[in-house]
Amino acid sequence: MMDPERMDLSPLDPARDPERWSRVIAVTLMRVEAALLSRTSADGVLDLVGAWSRPILAAAAILALVLGTADAIIGSRPSPLDRASEARRMAVLSDHSLGRGQRPTGGQLLVALRSRSAR
Amino acid sequence: MDETDAELVHAVRRGDRRAANHLMERYLRAARAVALAVTGSEADAEDACQDAFVTAIERIDDCRDPARFGKWLLQIVRNRSRNLIRVPAVRRAVALDETAPSAGASPLVELERGEIRERLLAALAEIPEQHREVVLLHDLEGWKHREIADRLGLPEGTVRSHLHHARRKLRQLLGERGMTP
Repeated sequence: MMDPERMDLSPLDPARDPERWSRVIAVTLMRVEAALLSRTSADGVLDLVGAWSRPILAAAAILALVLGTADAIIGSRPSPLDRASEARRMAVLSDHSLGRGQRPTGGQLLVALRSRSAR
Repeated sequence: MDETDAELVHAVRRGDRRAANHLMERYLRAARAVALAVTGSEADAEDACQDAFVTAIERIDDCRDPARFGKWLLQIVRNRSRNLIRVPAVRRAVALDETAPSAGASPLVELERGEIRERLLAALAEIPEQHREVVLLHDLEGWKHREIADRLGLPEGTVRSHLHHARRKLRQLLGERGMTP
């Protein structure tokens, strides 16, 4: 039903100039499609990074494992006190061996070294 | 059956061109009406609503309630229009050239139409912005009170009241200027 109170605002209707309005629609359409295309391309990059992320994560996990192992090894490095005690044992061994006119054997050196980790 | 705004928004998120075009067709005129209410210039309104559509597509993931795409879009239009009218007069002088009508109507008829448009725009400029939006969406775009209320985020009673006051003031202003729309 027609509203009798309705104002005639038709002079402001964009369709009064169909050529101009068609141009506006065409330009808007073109810009919207360009925006959509650029959005889709951006999503494509994200997908690519997403696809990479799994190998990257795997590589990161391996790296962490290696670094963790290295850290564990470094962490097991003897403290200065251990080193002093080790040196003392080696000196005692050497002194003992030299006192008998012998060089300490590899086995004896290994036993002396292992005695640290056994503690 | 027409697809809902929410369905179209989800399709746009998947990169569906057809859905983007459909949303544009559905809201372009309303976007222009809102932009016209803010800028008071047809050329600026066209620029603003084009920019707003591009922004809406670029930021479609930010539309938290796809069912209310219209409201979200019109807010972008409003913001874009306000930004546009803040730019220096140099840019606006270029925009005025774009208001030149297409070939077709005789210069005399076009001059007359141009004068009527100018008077209408001048009268609209004297009423509050929200009243302008309501009267343009209702009387120019043919939206219903409920649709306007939903898309502008206003109670329906407020829309009716804005429309009533806008029409009364416009009639008064245009009557003073020798026009009876």
